[in-house]
Amino acid sequence: MNLDWNVVWQHRGALAEGAEVTVLLTLLTMAIAIPGGVLLALMRLSKSRLLSGASAAFVELFRNLPLILVVYWAYYVMPVLSGLEFSAFTTGLIALSLNVSAYNSETFRAGIASIRQGQTEAALSLGMSQFQAMRQIVFPQAASRILPVLASTWVSLFKDTSLVSVIAVGDLAYNAMQVRAQTYRVLEMLTAMAAIYWVMGYPQAKLVDWLHRKYGISE
Amino acid sequence: MEFDFSPLLESWQFLLGGLGVTLLLALLTVLGSLLLGTLIGLARCYGPAWLRWPLVFYIDSMRAIPVLVVLVWTYFALPILTGITFPPFWAALVALTLHIAAYVAEIVRAGVQSIRPGQFRAALALGMSWRQTITEIVLPQAVVRMLPAFASILSITIKDTAIAAVIAVPEYMQRSQTLAGQSYRPIEVFSVAMLVYFLVLFPTTRLVDAIYARVAHLGRS
Amino acid sequence: MTPSGRKGGDTAPVLTYRNVRKLFGQFVALNDVSMQVNRGEVVCLIGPSGSGKSTLLRCTNALTRIDGGEVRFDGEPLPPDEQRMRKIRQRMGMVFQNFELFPHKTVLANVTSGPLTVLRMRPEDARRRAEALLDKVGLADKAAAYPANLSGGQQQRVAIARALAMEPEVMLFDEPTSALDPETIGEVLNVMKKLAEEGMTMIVVTHEMTFARRVAHWVVVFERGGIIEQGPPAQIFDAPQVDRTRDFLGHLGWSG
Repeated sequence: MNLDWNVVWQHRGALAEGAEVTVLLTLLTMAIAIPGGVLLALMRLSKSRLLSGASAAFVELFRNLPLILVVYWAYYVMPVLSGLEFSAFTTGLIALSLNVSAYNSETFRAGIASIRQGQTEAALSLGMSQFQAMRQIVFPQAASRILPVLASTWVSLFKDTSLVSVIAVGDLAYNAMQVRAQTYRVLEMLTAMAAIYWVMGYPQAKLVDWLHRKYGISE
Repeated sequence: MEFDFSPLLESWQFLLGGLGVTLLLALLTVLGSLLLGTLIGLARCYGPAWLRWPLVFYIDSMRAIPVLVVLVWTYFALPILTGITFPPFWAALVALTLHIAAYVAEIVRAGVQSIRPGQFRAALALGMSWRQTITEIVLPQAVVRMLPAFASILSITIKDTAIAAVIAVPEYMQRSQTLAGQSYRPIEVFSVAMLVYFLVLFPTTRLVDAIYARVAHLGRS
Repeated sequence: MTPSGRKGGDTAPVLTYRNVRKLFGQFVALNDVSMQVNRGEVVCLIGPSGSGKSTLLRCTNALTRIDGGEVRFDGEPLPPDEQRMRKIRQRMGMVFQNFELFPHKTVLANVTSGPLTVLRMRPEDARRRAEALLDKVGLADKAAAYPANLSGGQQQRVAIARALAMEPEVMLFDEPTSALDPETIGEVLNVMKKLAEEGMTMIVVTHEMTFARRVAHWVVVFERGGIIEQGPPAQIFDAPQVDRTRDFLGHLGWSG
């Protein structure tokens, strides 16, 4: 076994760029998936059976599909369906956003539902509208329950971005494996890839723990 | 835009075999990770202090590293390190089990720590040993609370097996890829794949929800 | 039991219930309930659990919508649309069994929430009103505290202040002391008694028979979704006309 760890250092540029893309993808996906999740949750909670059903169906669909398949399917189907050309990055972004929006909508819905009905009733009995009751009384309380779960979803998303490497998006996983293929330095590059993910992911996981402790449910 | 599903009809046995591998891999992984994860979780809570640190490190590392990375590393890098080569299926089994066991360990930890300390004190005051306390008082209560989370592990595992396609495990995802490549009909092949996975996962998540609804109240203090 | 013999019976009643029905699935919660509440009256609704008393209260401010019959407030039937019903709710105040204070707001903010959000009062005016009310219920010093730091009795008194901040014409109390420790029940009942003495129209669902006997002007006895007897407290508690009323009071250990 002869190892050459220099390879990692030599290709640090590619690895850094890959890491950037990973982070960028995570940020952009969440930026889309949070409003997306809110929209879906509102649809789910609305009185209209059409909206509620559509939202429920959407969420069920993405809860029950492997993300890697969604990525592939988006890659092949979207150009045909829309007649437009999408970059692999955009395709990956769309697949991730759809998936995370579905999970977020459940998080938001469950968070809101966890607030006792009595709180809404107390607000209504003062003469507030449903909207005012939601905004002033329910949402602020739901927020502290939603935040830790959202943070967990963030970390999962961060890891799931690695799946877009299969459609050749230049994220950390893709770049690392490209270098491996070019240099035949398998152990070094793969270990470096794992290590970089670890360095980025570990603090995030610890932050999630802290949020869970801070906003832990205490009735 | 015309669709041609004939490649799927011709190769249905090929795909069905892939589905079999998916389910087998998922099942073995679930069993393995439940076993390993429970042991690790309990060891982390009740084991000797020197064991705690490496176990926490392992658990937190699996939370930080993507499944894809663990799979690829296990299949390509581990042989270089150890000199043992794994066939893809076994590499995937090892990688997935290690990854998911970490989640199971966390579930066990959360479940066990949610039991009120008073329960321990009451049991010990009765003269029970630590082992008896854990097996007869703490675990039964904790298991009820952990059940819904355990059940969702099955669903997550099945989804993760699809990632094993990247190390050429002949499960359903990988076989779909092969067929799509050969037949030049990716839309049809992957659409059917979506349907198949949905049909497998939907009852599983429904089962998870049903278990959760039934059992959640038992775990509330 | 002439209506004009009741307190406030010389003017039009503030609330009338006519043949009110409410179903939850197959379960008949309210079966053909008819009664009225006059201005300035304190009406206590008593009866076993599940007899429909709380349901009737919640139908009064349309937190629950009736399935049959009619509820009239100030002569007008309750409007079916939420927007107009909101205006009606502003004229009623409700106090809940488990207080339902808003945990993320201070005591003061809880009391000003109605005036600020609904009445769109100026913050200084809302504040002044809230402080006066907190003083009235004896909690002026707790204005900056959060509900979690208050005892049950204190929280309920804040809840009463919060409802009063809207200057309602009717106050609805849904088992206001059922969730309280015995030591704190008294402080809440005292506030309610004071309110009654000031002439507030009140409908109180309660198990506190001593309170009903002393403070109510009219008592309505519910059983299984219907009214079995109603009358002045002297009648209900000292000389009930209906056997089942006697049985119910007997079960509670009521001996006058």
